[in-house]
Amino acid sequence: MDRDPHLSPPRIFTLEPASGVPIYRQLMDQVRRLVASGHLAPGAELPSVREVATEYTVNPTTISKAYGLLELEGLVQRNRGKPMTIAPLRRNQQALTHRLRQIEAQVDSLVLAAQQLDLRAADLATLIEQKMHEDEAP
Amino acid sequence: MMNDGTASGSPVVSLRELGKVIGGKAVLRDISADIEAGSIVGLLGKNGAGKTSLIDVLLGFSPPSSGSCSVFGERSFDLPAAAKRRIGFVPQQDELLDSLTGAQQLALNAALHPAWDSSLIARLVREWEVPLDRRIQVLSGGERQKLATLLALGHAPDLLVLDEPASSLDPVARRRFLGELLDIAQSPNRTVLFSTHIVSDLERIANKVWIIRDGRFAWAGDLDMLQESVVRVTLSARDALPQHLGIDGTVSARSDGRRAQVVLTGWRDERQRELADRFSAAVTVEHLGLEEIFLELHS
Repeated sequence: MDRDPHLSPPRIFTLEPASGVPIYRQLMDQVRRLVASGHLAPGAELPSVREVATEYTVNPTTISKAYGLLELEGLVQRNRGKPMTIAPLRRNQQALTHRLRQIEAQVDSLVLAAQQLDLRAADLATLIEQKMHEDEAP
Repeated sequence: MMNDGTASGSPVVSLRELGKVIGGKAVLRDISADIEAGSIVGLLGKNGAGKTSLIDVLLGFSPPSSGSCSVFGERSFDLPAAAKRRIGFVPQQDELLDSLTGAQQLALNAALHPAWDSSLIARLVREWEVPLDRRIQVLSGGERQKLATLLALGHAPDLLVLDEPASSLDPVARRRFLGELLDIAQSPNRTVLFSTHIVSDLERIANKVWIIRDGRFAWAGDLDMLQESVVRVTLSARDALPQHLGIDGTVSARSDGRRAQVVLTGWRDERQRELADRFSAAVTVEHLGLEEIFLELHS
């Protein structure tokens, strides 16, 4: 990390209170994504509940709920008297099955739609792969 | 330790089966809810739904017709002076004295409260750009609202109640004002209740929402839970869907044969699979913004 997160405002998240998705869910999704993409590496510090609440003018309860649930998942860890940090990698990897389970409902409806359209699994997989590579492009 | 009703765990405000009848008309019916210390509660309702009546009973300006209402563990209508001093209230129509300047009005209120926090007020006067040298009668609606809010904050209340705050403020001033409310609630044991029709303010800073409709609660609970509980589900089936879907918790439904859109309460993620199996349909789920939820609950 080339910058101390305490010296710059915590702008790493995009919270949209009006989107209908509870703010704690938005925050959890974004931390998971930032970790998965490597933008938040193990040991990286997270802004405090108060910093996020102030920066985005949102209720702190929903932020601490997000951090608490991420801690239960093993993705972040609480450090006595210090900012929370992204947990070491081993614990993240263990969370893979958990992460897959979270997308299962969407996959179920995708599979159902694919069956209705008589698509083969391989065709669907190719399409998913293409789409995911598009997103990864710089 | 003194038992003043705010020891950890006991609610700051407690409403039990509260009812209020005015002129033979029930304006509040069967209202039950608690407010825990540190909460920011947003009270949302159409004009005439009962927001102001509820605030009046809660603050002891008028007695409940049935049920009970207590603040700091004391009955609202006979609230002792010591408990009243722990409340700050910003009414919808301010009670500022037109002939005074802002500075004179602040000095008057400071003299009435032994624990007046002059440094907090001085800071907010600067940050909110409240003009103090002009007579109150020439101030704009927004300036009056800021001044009225300062009067309610100066004695560092444990419970701050605001009836339609910030409605006259421009977006920049509103955002600052909301930030200040968040700060207040983050001091331990401070509690905020505000009524509003500006849904976007509530979505940001409230953790609890009370939606009042025709004098009854349509929802009283966590904002997160409300947003998770109410969703719009789209079913796309290969064959015609039944005319009457009969899905539990349906708020509204539209259908054009093979496609149906249903707004539901009581949503759990597992229900997506259940619905897909039951109707042999592809099921997509959308979370709704609070404004849409509010409109759906009133449809």
